[in-house]
Amino acid sequence: MKTYVIVRQTPDTEAKIKVNGDGRSINSESIKWIVNPYDEFAIEEAIRIKENHGGEVILITMGPARNLAALRTGLAMGADSAIHIKDESFASADPYAIAKVIAQEIKNPGDYDLILTGKKMIDEETGQVGIHVAEDLGIPQGAVVTKLDISDDRKSVRVQKEIEGGQVIVDLPLPALLTCERGLNEPRYASLPGIMKAKKKPVKVIETGDIDFSSIGLSAEQLGEGGSRYAVTKLEVPEIKRRLHMIEGMEVSDAVKELVTALREEAKVI
Amino acid sequence: MGNETWVVADLTIDGKVRKVTLEAISEARKKLQGTLCGVLLGSGVSALAPELGRYGAEKVYVVDSEILGDYSSEGYSTALSELIKKHSPDIVLAGNTSQGQDYFPRTAARVGAGLALDAIDLGLSDSGRLTVKRYMYSGKSIATVEFLDNSPAMATVRPNAFKPEEDPKTPEVLSESVDIPADCIWTKVVEVKRKESTRPELTEADRIVSGGRGMASSENFPLIFELADTIGAAAGASRAAVDAGFVPYEMQVGQTGKVVSPSIYIAIGISGSVQHFAGMGSSKVIVAINKDPDAPIFSKCDYGIVGDLFKVVPVLTKEFKNLLAQG
Ligand SMILES: Cc1cc2nc3c(=O)[nH]c(=O)nc-3n(C[C@H](O)[C@H](O)[C@H](O)COP(=O)(O)OP(=O)(O)OC[C@H]3O[C@@H](n4cnc5c(N)ncnc54)[C@H](O)[C@@H]3O)c2cc1C
Ligand SMILES: Nc1ncnc2c1ncn2[C@@H]1O[C@H](COP(=O)(O)O)[C@@H](O)[C@H]1O
Repeated sequence: MKTYVIVRQTPDTEAKIKVNGDGRSINSESIKWIVNPYDEFAIEEAIRIKENHGGEVILITMGPARNLAALRTGLAMGADSAIHIKDESFASADPYAIAKVIAQEIKNPGDYDLILTGKKMIDEETGQVGIHVAEDLGIPQGAVVTKLDISDDRKSVRVQKEIEGGQVIVDLPLPALLTCERGLNEPRYASLPGIMKAKKKPVKVIETGDIDFSSIGLSAEQLGEGGSRYAVTKLEVPEIKRRLHMIEGMEVSDAVKELVTALREEAKVI
Repeated sequence: MGNETWVVADLTIDGKVRKVTLEAISEARKKLQGTLCGVLLGSGVSALAPELGRYGAEKVYVVDSEILGDYSSEGYSTALSELIKKHSPDIVLAGNTSQGQDYFPRTAARVGAGLALDAIDLGLSDSGRLTVKRYMYSGKSIATVEFLDNSPAMATVRPNAFKPEEDPKTPEVLSESVDIPADCIWTKVVEVKRKESTRPELTEADRIVSGGRGMASSENFPLIFELADTIGAAAGASRAAVDAGFVPYEMQVGQTGKVVSPSIYIAIGISGSVQHFAGMGSSKVIVAINKDPDAPIFSKCDYGIVGDLFKVVPVLTKEFKNLLAQG
């Protein structure tokens, strides 16, 4: 099984979001970066598949130099090698353009069985890069997957998904692309020997200049913000005013009465 | 042609129109322009057209095909992308459901459309292009996104973000035949399992009761279920409660769980981490029950009871029962 895992860095889940003076981007100065949590499920799953079926795990990312840290984390967990498509301008590219460039790297050499990625980035929450890659490669997809089993003949994958009101189980022929949801597994921590080994694992770096944009039907501009089909015109930190009505130091029955009365008469939600 | 706004219907396992579809139609009617059209994809779905009309659809496109009987991303995205190519709508919407998140990106990739997922507001710019508001950075910010073209502009909308309001129309029903070759369907459905629960779906629920690590064990969760059933709420949980094995993952609310926006969210034995707020921070009214007066949740809620949940919750359930019995 040759599995590609598409990964990216994202601000730490605790990160405070500060909007820049332009009112439409975030200030990323003091942000700590981590591997996108959904991508960690993808990396873990790929490594388990390798442990059960043999083969290799290749990480692929697109973005600025700091993304190397995300690749090193995945390599330390047990991935074999990585591809870093490096450019600072990719940050705000259109999912369509990101997917085209990533798909191109996977297409040549082309011999792959499975592609895994996260169901979405927890920062921009675009939620579509993986599926665009599947469309570009002309392979089946399973979005938001909570369980997967490779068939014994390694020709298909059985996938479980949560749907509203139940679950569905489907079979997809390989190669396929799956986007990973929490519940799939518990990602392992990188061990110390793993971290040491990761430093020696190969990371292929591709610079913007190396990419033949015309052959994939893109212009270099399409990778920057200008190529996007939409623009973020405003970014706000939501200010939800809460009542902060505290009920304490009372008998339970009085406290509950006060709450229920307030919910009915003041908040009018019951 | 063109100048149409489409809402593609989301259907339940039992083939009924989901509430989010009616919410999207109602909001599109209020905020957007052009002929408001419903789209039905599936097998034996034509009969649902009048319901879309009841909420304001003036026209309903129907692709009724056996091959769409089982949901597949290939079938749905083929049907929708062919329809889009034929009729060139300006705007195409659907619910941000498990299906919407699956075939909308595939369709957008195929027709070369821009797509924004999980919109909480819809509008038009001065130049008539779709604008949506959506959360970014796990609920910590709201972005206004403006599409640069309507060819078409595609978006999914968050369940419960809009109100469904009737505006009865007798829609013109257009039966469309789309060629969906059997060999383009890769997905083979093995099994569809229904949840036995009679409680509402978390993502669509108007009321939610959630339990956290403070519940201490799975044996105590019936406290949550009973309270939830009393007020017709869905039951949720924090990640700590899921990780501890009290309840299954599908009940998790938060950054790596479900994103919900009910009108009342009751958090019981939940401390109020940023990751939990990422999933429920947009609830209209938040109630917290926690024994620790310094729990972070108390600084971001509307009503808080400081006390032992094992004492408070049974009394609360009883009090709600009394109240609702009075009507
Ligand atoms: C990448 C990442 C993603 C995450 N995603 C999520 C997510 O999606 N959803 C999520 O919820 N968390 C998520 N978390 C975890 C999050 O950080 C918290 O650990 C978690 O939300 C804590 O759950 P809790 O509030 O139930 O537990 P705790 O923080 O342990 O709080 C338990 C609370 O119960 C109270 N309590 C205990 N006993 C009683 C009693 N008898 N009566 C009343 N009150 C009592 C305590 O005072 C305490 O405040 C994520 C973390 C990371 C790093
Ligand atoms: N620039 C990128 N490089 C590599 N992977 C990406 C990039 N952008 C998004 N992804 C992947 O695509 C998945 C979905 O992301 P998104 O569509 O941006 O929400 C994420 O889990 C990432 O793994």
